[in-house]
Order: sequence, then C-alpha cells, then structure tokens
Amino acid sequence: MMRKFGNTKGQMRLIEVILASFIIITALGFTNLLSITPTSPKYEATELEKLGYNVLHDLDKQGLLPRFIYNAEWTNVTSALRVTLPMDVYFNMTVYDSNNDNVAEGLYYGDSSTFSDANTVASITYCLSGYSIQTGPGQFEAVYDPRILILQLVRI
Amino acid sequence: MRTLMRQKKGQFIIIAVLIIAIMIVSIGALLQRAVVYYKHEPWEEYLTLIEGVELNSQRLMEISLVNFTQTSLSESTSQNILQENLNNWTIDLRHIYPGRGVIAGYTLENGTAYNYTLGLARSWNNQTSLSTAKATFELDINSIGLSGYEFTIESLLTLEILNATGNEINVVVRGIDQQTITNLEEENFKVEDRTITNLLAQYDPEHVLVYTIVCDSSTEPPFNPNVTVWDHNGIRVVASM
Repeated sequence: MMRKFGNTKGQMRLIEVILASFIIITALGFTNLLSITPTSPKYEATELEKLGYNVLHDLDKQGLLPRFIYNAEWTNVTSALRVTLPMDVYFNMTVYDSNNDNVAEGLYYGDSSTFSDANTVASITYCLSGYSIQTGPGQFEAVYDPRILILQLVRI
Repeated sequence: MRTLMRQKKGQFIIIAVLIIAIMIVSIGALLQRAVVYYKHEPWEEYLTLIEGVELNSQRLMEISLVNFTQTSLSESTSQNILQENLNNWTIDLRHIYPGRGVIAGYTLENGTAYNYTLGLARSWNNQTSLSTAKATFELDINSIGLSGYEFTIESLLTLEILNATGNEINVVVRGIDQQTITNLEEENFKVEDRTITNLLAQYDPEHVLVYTIVCDSSTEPPFNPNVTVWDHNGIRVVASM
C-alpha cells in the first residue's frame, strides 16, 4: 500500500488528461459560440413571415379571406387567424384599399405593448384582387377592388 | 514536481489533443464563415407570394368573366373588361409589393378554338354553349432574381342540353378540363317562360352527373327550352335547343 502511494509515474498522465479535456471543452465552446443553428433567433422573423404567408394563403384558397374582408366580417377574420396561428403568436392586422386608405385596423390578438416591446416583429403584405357576390336571383356584383392586408406577427 | 517535469512519456497525447483542438476550431471558423456569407433565402415565402398572385389573378379572370356574361353591360364595355382589370392589376401589383420588385405582364388569348376576343369568348344559344376567359401571365420578382415566370389561367363554363322530354330538361354543366360541376342547386338555373319546380342530380356513366330540371306542367309540351345557368362565382351561360 505504502508503495502505491510513493509511485509518482501515473501523475503526469492524469495532468495530461485534465489538460486535454480542458483544451477540447474550450474548442467546443468556441465553436458553439461562432455557429448559428437553424433554430437561431436570427431566423425568427423569417419563420414568422413564412407562417403568416401560409396562413393568409390557405384562408384565401378556401375562399374565406375574400368573404370576410369584402363583407367586413372583422370578427370572423380575427377568429380565423386566432384558430390558424399558434397560440404563442400574437397578431395585428390592418387592411387598406388601393388608395392606401385604411379600411380596417385593430384586428389584433394580444397586448398592443407586445408589438412595441418585441425584439422581432414580422410584417407580411398580402393582396386580394376583388370579389363577386350575389345580389339577387341570377344577379352578381363582381368588382376589381384590391385590398392590401398588412399582418404583423410576434412570438411571445 | 521536478520528477514530473522530467517525465518524457505522454507528450503524444498532448500533441494529439492539440491537433484535434485545432481541427475543431478550424471547422468552427469555417462554419462561421459559411453562416456569415450564406444568404438565407426564404423560398417557401416566395412560393406563397407567387401562388398568391396566381390565385388572385385567377379570381380576377373570373370577376371579368362574370361581368362579360352579365347581360346588363353593353357589348363594348363587357368585351374590354378583362383588359381593363388586368391593366389595373399589373399596375397595382408594383405598388402593393414595393420592396419586392414585382412586375407582371399578360397576353390575352385571341382567336383559337373558342374565337376569343381580348381574352374573352362566349358562344350562347346553342345546344352546347359556353363562356370562357383565357390569359397568359409573365411574372418577374426582381428581389429574388425571378424572371419570366409564366402561367396560363383559363376560366370556362359549359352548358349542354342533352334532351328535353315532357316538362323535364336534362343538362350537363362542365368547367375546365371537362370536369363536371357538381355543386349546383335549383337557384343556379333558369328556364325561359317556365317555372322550375325541382332539380334532380343523377349519376350518369357518360357525363358523371346529369341535372334534370323539372318545370311546371301547366304549359303544354313540346317546347324548345332556353336554359340559363350561373355557377357560384356568377359566370353565366345560356343554351337552347
């Protein structure tokens, strides 16, 4: 036992292992510091924009978006966006006509302060060309009347 | 300590680890450069933008065709409606997406099988009648380097009177690619000088779906029916036997 305690030959190996571990951990830490992963906050705005475009396009494809916008069914627009967007995403939508006059604003979900305080706010522009509605038996009103939708998104 | 310092075994491990560390740091630096110089392109977002433009161009074609087939408009006004709408649409698209550099152009169909004029055509009061619109679009989006992207949009509604027996008229309504329109109701049809009392939709092996328009029996047959149909967008066709 006493002989084992007096043996100093393995100590250098131990120090080497500690040094080696330290060097590898430092290198990995340095690499991690430089890398930007796909889930980085740098891409958050892009992700939200993609999400916003997809949601508006899907609603448009189903024919719901033109119906809600041209019939001024603002409650339905807000409900549809709340249902289709994830729970942790707040939105604020404004609708303009082709003269840039405000048709509707304040279609939002979440606190207004969330948008002013947020680091990343994604803004999406989507356009509708016009509408066709039935005004009587066999009578339709079909008009080219663009609507510009500005949708702002924030993830909380 | 002096004994430790004098030990010469184990340096290989230190050298190996140093080399590994240098390799890790080099890869890290390469990754960093790759990330810095890589321009992140949200392709899905661009695709949705293009699809949005296509979808609303399609809607505009339908709006124009509805106006063209509304009998209340004069011939010259209704014939120019598609051109006017598309002119406005291409101008407005530039303003709607200002940072994108969206430039849209179009070519209206002329002549061909349906005898289009300024992208619109209707052939009514035949046993098989139709209303149609067709245009080819060219889309540039400068911000993503997209140039000369072409897509063709066609809108078509066909009404064919198969036969008229007693007070019943059998018709087939088709859209693009001869697809049978299956969601029509009694309110979508009108028979001149007759009152429709019922509409039956029946499967047919040849035509997929045949609509049987049942008229009131107060008028004596035979009659040469003049049938009008309009789809849910409001595109109208008039056919007669």
